[in-house]
Amino acid sequence: MEEFFQQLTNGLAVGGIYALIALGYTMVYGVLKLINFAHGDLFTIGAFLGLTLLTSLGLTDSVGPVAGLLVLAVMVVVLVGVVGYLLERIAYRPLRTSPRLSAVVSALGASIFFQNAIMLIWGARPLVYPHGLLPNITVDIFGVELPLIRIIMFAISVLLMCGLYYLTHKTRIGTAIRAAAIDQGAAKLMGIDVNRVISLVFMIGPALGGAAGVMVGLYYGQINFTMGWLYGLKAFTAAILGGIGNIPGAMLGGLLLGVVESLGAAYISIAWKDAISFLVLILILIVRPTGLLGERVADKV
Amino acid sequence: MKKFMRVLAFGLVASMMMTSGALAADTIKIGLQAPLTGKYASEGLDMKNLVEILAAKVNADGGVNGKQIEIIAEDDAFDPKTAALAAQRLVTSGVVAVVGTYGSSITEAAQDIYDEEDVIQIATGSTMVRLTEKGLANFFRTCPRDDSQGAAAAQVLKDRGYKRIAILHDNSSYAKGLAEETRKLLDDKTVVFYDALNPGEQDYNTILTKIKGFNPDVIFYTGYFNEAGLLLRQKKEMKWDVAMMGGDATNNLDLVKIAGNDAAKGFFFVSPPGVNDLTSPFAKDILDKYKAEYSVLPASIWSVFAGDAFLAIVEALRQTDSTDPEVLSDYLRNKMEEFPGLTGTIAFDEKGDRSGKFYRVSEVNANGEFVMLP
Repeated sequence: MEEFFQQLTNGLAVGGIYALIALGYTMVYGVLKLINFAHGDLFTIGAFLGLTLLTSLGLTDSVGPVAGLLVLAVMVVVLVGVVGYLLERIAYRPLRTSPRLSAVVSALGASIFFQNAIMLIWGARPLVYPHGLLPNITVDIFGVELPLIRIIMFAISVLLMCGLYYLTHKTRIGTAIRAAAIDQGAAKLMGIDVNRVISLVFMIGPALGGAAGVMVGLYYGQINFTMGWLYGLKAFTAAILGGIGNIPGAMLGGLLLGVVESLGAAYISIAWKDAISFLVLILILIVRPTGLLGERVADKV
Repeated sequence: MKKFMRVLAFGLVASMMMTSGALAADTIKIGLQAPLTGKYASEGLDMKNLVEILAAKVNADGGVNGKQIEIIAEDDAFDPKTAALAAQRLVTSGVVAVVGTYGSSITEAAQDIYDEEDVIQIATGSTMVRLTEKGLANFFRTCPRDDSQGAAAAQVLKDRGYKRIAILHDNSSYAKGLAEETRKLLDDKTVVFYDALNPGEQDYNTILTKIKGFNPDVIFYTGYFNEAGLLLRQKKEMKWDVAMMGGDATNNLDLVKIAGNDAAKGFFFVSPPGVNDLTSPFAKDILDKYKAEYSVLPASIWSVFAGDAFLAIVEALRQTDSTDPEVLSDYLRNKMEEFPGLTGTIAFDEKGDRSGKFYRVSEVNANGEFVMLP
């Protein structure tokens, strides 16, 4: 039983990261009906920018570890947000009125561009965050030993997700985002600057991905230029699982995917871990084609 | 005057060549088949250089059985067709044995020719398993074969007395092969866990938690340094103090960078030695000579195996006082034991594969350095 809870927390920790990245997919899809394949690479950029800023500015030495990491995270979030904004302006906006397939191809191209740019800037060998930044404290919860950092990471993920939920559902700007997601034309007529809304979405989504990148870098230590692909794939799956376009769905999908993966590996087979989680995805999509929380939208004929 | 000297020099060389022809019966010819041209020419030239240094040393010490050694080098250009021609030229030039060559498919093109003509061949850079599975009486090799790392790993696990072994691979053909090979050679009861992880992920806590449930006293990870580093790091974070071993794909200092000195300390791996790891006095002496002559060390361990092949042939000639291939082959296969070569001790099993100790164990020390254990 203890092992079960241990594996459950392992799954939730990974799932929290998936969920955070999945939010970026789901937001962009909600507004633009576009799957931003470059999103996983924005996550990677976050991890690499974090390392560069951390080692070049020496933040943790000058203002203390906690404040230093916070400042670092804010800087990375802003920078990745800017990259996301530029991505939208350069790769997606010119194709806004073209068939949807063109934008998807552009997204794939952007992904390849980012991955290679990261490799050329930072090199193909794995890089390592400095050791000893985070304290290795474990907390005993109901007989399960949990590293404190994992709990904090999970809490930060949940906080960011709640913040995003609040932003999209309780604020004016959030209402504008949701309006643009439902019908861009009507939103325009209501006086909403749809271009601004889209730019904003392209800053928030990547910013969350960037935050996830820094957390992964800080916690796991090792980063490499291809890591975004696997995380992106899993997060994309999570977004579909929860119902793409739906923000609580992305959170649920991410956590669920993490837990399914972890329990599948623990009780069935490690090597079959991914096969099991994708099987679950297929089964859920057979029963609920729009995902767990996806709304059934009547097709316009 | 200059011209005269040249003529004189030419005359001297010519007369020397004639005498050496006349004294042919007083030399023992050993062939060297190597890629002296083509894309692996550097390997072939290293082989030739090393064998020539060793031959010069043997000759300076009085030769073998009262005769001088003569090396006849033939180029196979790392090409099977050229290799067959090279082998033909060597067998017609009357060599008793051949050292080489580099490349399994190149060796395969030549091995039947030597065997039919009763010439001993000791291959050097040819690890393909089936080369020694054909039952050729005159074929040997000084390099390990592709599946021998598993045997070495299993031996280390047994020697260290582990009773509960977890084997983890990454589904790559190399890592899976090594894992399977090792498992075959271990007692079934001692392997308590066998599975694969997905390489390229960051979080292996799930896997470690699962393995921990089987309570092993060692984890043998057969994959690459990247995942091994993460496993060590996360194992440390779990405060789980279990021994971990790797195969030669973990022989990369990035492993320590990823894991951190603390987590990597005590990790050990089985790997062939590199040229720089050859620290026996004899190997050092020869490599120093090599360096003095060519200003660099041999680029890879593969050319050093050519040196070992040559030494094994010389030892067989010496011990049997014969050039009869049947006698030599019998000696190499059945009587040679723990003969000290450059890369460790040399002996051959009944198939002609090298059986002496060759794989070495290295361990990470407290400073994060790889230290080769004796």
